[in-house]
Amino acid sequence: MKKIDRRSFLRTTSAAGGMVLVSPYLDGAWFVQSNKGSTGYFESEFGISMEMCRKLLETALMRGGDFADLYFEHTLNNWLMLEDGKVNQSYGIVKLGVGIRTVKGDQIGYGYTEDLSDEAMLSAAKTASSLVTETQTTVASAFTKLSAKNYYPLQNLNEVPLTDKLPLVQTINTKCFEKSGYIKNVRAGFHDSMKRIMVVTSDGLIAEDIIPRNYLYASVVAEKDGKNEQSGWNLGGRHDFSYYSTDVAENISDEVVKRAVKQFDAIQPPAGEMPVVLGPGVTGILLHEAIGHGMEADFNRKNISTYSTMIGKKVAEPFVTIVDDGTIDQQLGSINFDDEGSQSQRTVLVENGVMTSYLHDKISAKYYGVKPTGNGRRESYEHQPVPRMRNTYMMSGDESPEDVIKKAKNGIYIEDVSNGQVKIGEGDFAFYVSQGRMIEDGKLTAPIKDVNIMGNGPKMLANITAVANDLKIHEGGAGSCGKAGQSVPVSFGLPTCLVKSLTVGGTKQMGGVS
Amino acid sequence: MNKEMLDLCNWIMDETLKNGASDCKVSLNKRRIVEINYRKQKPESIKEATTRSLSLDVYLDGKFAVQSTPDLRKTSLETFIKKACENAKYIEADPYRTLPGKDLIKGKQDIDLELYDNRVKDFAPDLKHKMVQEIEEACINKGGDKVISVEAGAEFSEDENLEVASNGLVNSTQKTSVWIGASMAAQDEGDRRPNGYHWAGARYLNDLPKTSDVGIKAAERTLELLGGKKMPTEKLPVIIENRVANRLLNGFIAGMNGGNIQQQRSFLADKKGEVVASPKLSLIDDPFVKKGFGSRLVDGDGLPARKRIMLDQGKVEEFFIDWYYSRKMECQPTTGGASNLILKPGEKSLEDLMKDTGRGILVTGFIGGNSNSTTGDFSIGIIGHLFENGVPVQAIAEMNIADNHLEFWKKLADVGNDPWKYSSWNIPSLLFDDIVVAGV
Repeated sequence: MKKIDRRSFLRTTSAAGGMVLVSPYLDGAWFVQSNKGSTGYFESEFGISMEMCRKLLETALMRGGDFADLYFEHTLNNWLMLEDGKVNQSYGIVKLGVGIRTVKGDQIGYGYTEDLSDEAMLSAAKTASSLVTETQTTVASAFTKLSAKNYYPLQNLNEVPLTDKLPLVQTINTKCFEKSGYIKNVRAGFHDSMKRIMVVTSDGLIAEDIIPRNYLYASVVAEKDGKNEQSGWNLGGRHDFSYYSTDVAENISDEVVKRAVKQFDAIQPPAGEMPVVLGPGVTGILLHEAIGHGMEADFNRKNISTYSTMIGKKVAEPFVTIVDDGTIDQQLGSINFDDEGSQSQRTVLVENGVMTSYLHDKISAKYYGVKPTGNGRRESYEHQPVPRMRNTYMMSGDESPEDVIKKAKNGIYIEDVSNGQVKIGEGDFAFYVSQGRMIEDGKLTAPIKDVNIMGNGPKMLANITAVANDLKIHEGGAGSCGKAGQSVPVSFGLPTCLVKSLTVGGTKQMGGVS
Repeated sequence: MNKEMLDLCNWIMDETLKNGASDCKVSLNKRRIVEINYRKQKPESIKEATTRSLSLDVYLDGKFAVQSTPDLRKTSLETFIKKACENAKYIEADPYRTLPGKDLIKGKQDIDLELYDNRVKDFAPDLKHKMVQEIEEACINKGGDKVISVEAGAEFSEDENLEVASNGLVNSTQKTSVWIGASMAAQDEGDRRPNGYHWAGARYLNDLPKTSDVGIKAAERTLELLGGKKMPTEKLPVIIENRVANRLLNGFIAGMNGGNIQQQRSFLADKKGEVVASPKLSLIDDPFVKKGFGSRLVDGDGLPARKRIMLDQGKVEEFFIDWYYSRKMECQPTTGGASNLILKPGEKSLEDLMKDTGRGILVTGFIGGNSNSTTGDFSIGIIGHLFENGVPVQAIAEMNIADNHLEFWKKLADVGNDPWKYSSWNIPSLLFDDIVVAGV
């Protein structure tokens, strides 16, 4: 609640290992029990009958309201962590509960409980109902199961034995040390979670899903001539465990070592405004901050986003098309349906330079008289859903990446970023560059690091002057986006593109005065 | 102490030991929260819940696993405990992973930290709504015709925690907290809609500021952002306002973290006993502040809390070292993290700091940015004002400061007398000389 003025985005690549503090790995018994397909789970495991769901919805609507919904969740989170050569920590968190929401216009009553007894759930439903003071709203006479495409099918719902996960983490450690004599410390780990949800709405919809999330990561410290540098990398998403081959461990260790060692030669770029080329992939965080948050419809229906009046208007050059897409197989931000039961979709935010759609939940869709876009997401049963991004990226253009870099002439090239933040009303954003290079005379030269980039969303969009043909969507599994005290997994992508001017926050003034 | 919670924790501990654990620690938390938010003079959301969470640390001859669950049904717990113990068996043994010995957890102070206000539990719903309504109204009135949107809110929470461990630790705490505040969006030139906010919190209801003052402050801080623009890059004095100074200090404190030091990820690793900052910088970790947000009698390892001077006039006196990393580094533990971190205040008010400085930048907010704990390099976006003759003359946006912590804190020229009280880190406004502020 204290954070409502800003939307911060945290990407936790290597740092994730250090930042993850609590959580055990999968409880085997529960996982075996859970291997029963994607429907009827909450009834078979926790005795949640449709009669009870109906009673809860009727209670939530006993004093009126437009609609009510139930969000049941059972999530098993596991972390396995290596430090000083040993896989010596195992953490796990079980989340189990139900959130009950009553909606009237843009007003929300919300109660939740971790006690799935009839008494506790009815009490939460009464809390939700307390917002309105009208006559009872009726609940649909029958419930229909939502049929949705599965963007993250799993071959095996059983628990992955610890003995299978452990060698993966050990392999990364060994490989990192093998790849460079400069490496002197490695932290590595594997995270997996399995979230089971059931959404039941008063208009008669039941939607059930099993949502996996997993990633393998490494964070290293390299030392050269008494100087330390660190770097991190992860790969993951919504995969089956079979994805995590030794090749994945090889790729991660390759990348993380290369990045750390490169830092020894890195310089601080000069401070001030200059052309900035964003390399493909993880740099898509720029879109997330510069436009994505501002297009979340709750900010717009409240008229507090800088994009509140821009639908239908030209905001970028014709070669700029930006989408938010929940339908990419195995991507971290993909969802089969959102946490209100609306189907996932590919939503075009900017088409050929013209702003086309906001990202809607049910409340904003009703406000604007459009269909929900499947962006009503929440961290857990403890939170009410709000419009959130999924996988946000820009479509490829026609130019080669080399030509885009050439066009910049002099500036900086960004390869990796570690976090970002935006002020919705002003559109001002910042993101932190952990890896990059100087561009001098149209060529990539010295590495740069640890510099913040500032800009303004609408201005930045208008200033994209070249887009290459090499779109890459980041394949990390650790990215999460924070808004209104809630964190949800997202991904992002970008082709190489040139922004003709952004503020680079270095320590050196232009002209060499330090 | 809640007997029902104690009995449950003791039962879990006994069962865990019976399942083969050599040691274990059980932590149980019960929480009650109520949140009320208003917009357009009506409730926008009302949220209420009672939650619980159980965490079990299993030690099995150097092997270590932690599991947590909200499911406190006995039958579920039996499975939970059994699996936690079985899982620990697969982990590689780490000789440093133990519970502190019985002698080390003795010596807990017997003082009332005054963290629980009975009034919070019984505070009537209509009074809660009234508080939020008053905040919203004051903010709207102060914001006047610039108001696009105002959101006001309050959050009431009660926490009851109990920790029991096989080394004899028994520690229970009860805490309340209340937060009230508002955020406002204002119409600026073009499509800019600056958003400002103000929040205040306290352990006791009676310690909250006047509700209308909170609303007025939120509006004032928003209106101050109007006309924000980027200025030319320049080296000049910078004052970091008390409420946001912890963001910068956090990057410095990361270097004092035992885990980062042992893992060779700290720019301060070899600086104990050395002067790394201006004599104006003294940091005290004081767990015994009455009604403090970080107050505690024992730390995360169950060790008795102690007041410590961490940094004295720029010299590093102590690091934050928990039990585990103290064993790895073969040194005495201090504590794993700050409780109430107090930066020793100076003599001047923020206004006097600005007046005496004449011209500079007052930073009232940060955006984005990061700090590298290994090298000490940081770069962070700033929001605030250019001031001249001690008076704000221009709101600034899209600007940035960057430095290395080992250089930056040596530039601390003065410290205000205004430690921010709505946080466990009580940091006053800070004046730095010669900072490059990047803009146009």
